[in-house]
Amino acid sequence: MTGKRALLSIRGLGKQFGSTKVLNEVSLDVAESDVVSIIGASGSGKTTLLRCVNLLETFEEGEIVLDGQPIGYKMVNGRRHRLPERELARQRAMTGMVFQAFNLFPHLTALGNVMLGLTKVRRLPKPEAKELALSWLGRVGLKERPLHYPSQLSGGQQQRVAIARALAMDPKLVLLDEVTSALDPELVQEVLQTITKLAEEGITLLIVTHEMAFAKRVSTRVVFMDHGRIAESGPPKQIFAKPATPRLRQFLRNAHV
Amino acid sequence: MEDFLHELWVARYVLLGGLKMTILISAASILAGSLLGLMTGVSLAYGPRPLAWLMRGYVDVVRGTPVLVLVLASFYVLAVVGIHFTAVQSGIFALSIFCGAHMGEIVRGALQAIPKTQIEAGRSIGLTFPRILAYVLLPQALRQILPVWINTGAELVKASTLLSVIGVGELLLATQEIVGRNFETLQFYTLAGLLYYCVNFSIERAGKMAETRLKGR
Repeated sequence: MTGKRALLSIRGLGKQFGSTKVLNEVSLDVAESDVVSIIGASGSGKTTLLRCVNLLETFEEGEIVLDGQPIGYKMVNGRRHRLPERELARQRAMTGMVFQAFNLFPHLTALGNVMLGLTKVRRLPKPEAKELALSWLGRVGLKERPLHYPSQLSGGQQQRVAIARALAMDPKLVLLDEVTSALDPELVQEVLQTITKLAEEGITLLIVTHEMAFAKRVSTRVVFMDHGRIAESGPPKQIFAKPATPRLRQFLRNAHV
Repeated sequence: MEDFLHELWVARYVLLGGLKMTILISAASILAGSLLGLMTGVSLAYGPRPLAWLMRGYVDVVRGTPVLVLVLASFYVLAVVGIHFTAVQSGIFALSIFCGAHMGEIVRGALQAIPKTQIEAGRSIGLTFPRILAYVLLPQALRQILPVWINTGAELVKASTLLSVIGVGELLLATQEIVGRNFETLQFYTLAGLLYYCVNFSIERAGKMAETRLKGR
């Protein structure tokens, strides 16, 4: 952490699926322009944590504060209440999410995918939305294919459209959930390069990834999760060169870093 | 042949009137029934429990009832409870209810076949659920159901013949009246059959065209 004010502040987050505690006392601060990578084994709670921040999951304990505002819940007479759908939608628009399986809208073109949120959520007039969407498609290297449908694009291209769709909404924070895991090895690099560029531009990123080399290169901080807890966190050099806990050492050994 | 042409000329207004009535009734029921089906399907897939149960009851009861019974019931039973429909209104009502139940089940199926991740993708860009429904889910579902929808339309045209029993002057009843006068059963029933075929063929062609246009995407 630098001395900057935390843009995202997670305090004592806890979540259960049935009797399994998937998130346990998770606390994490992300400052503006930070690039925080979350690593850890499958089932360690990384993705669930990201989904909680995007309010796609409910959580029972703790709070998430985004840009000074607690999100997802409000306290009424000492009891937590999930916010109404309209309010959740407004808060979700503050974060952008990119999914492992792209989740593009198959009935819309690349341009249509990026424009939907601009016209229906940000309520920009069509010409302005189109211009902005085209400029974002250009920034992810897809200037030539705005009218292609997702089925006509490669996996890497689809994922870059998804990144443009999230970024065009001008979110305060972008959540990337294993965005290269569903890609052919050859297509991974083009997506990672796109993300690296965003990081360099100072966009705040919270990344769940299995690409250790990428995490090491791009992150300002790396968080290692194990069994729903944050087991260790620090600058990438420290995490990858001098892991403090045996569990992280074992994980990194298995991940062939 | 000359005799048939003469009889056809005599019956031309009755026949055209019947055809017009058939088309009118079918169009009105397809329109109303599809809207009803859309609302039913959305309620079945995403509605709050009580509404979903209510719609489930409606769909199951109507789908398990012969259309003729629906037609007779909306003509005779509604009058008993104080709703006075003309024969044409009762007919359109019955066919719409019938169409709505079938379309409801079809729309529900199409909506539930869309991966949940589409809803999440919509949420992640800040869309509220009604908007996700309007811009993400329904456009995908409607593309899926177009062929079945066309088919239901054709079924409805055929089912409209049943309205002859409550005295709606559609094509079949018109034909019966004509035959009752000139006894040219073979000729006029064949003609009626051909006319029904033409109507349904046009519907089918229109559907095919719409389908190819959507396939291009």
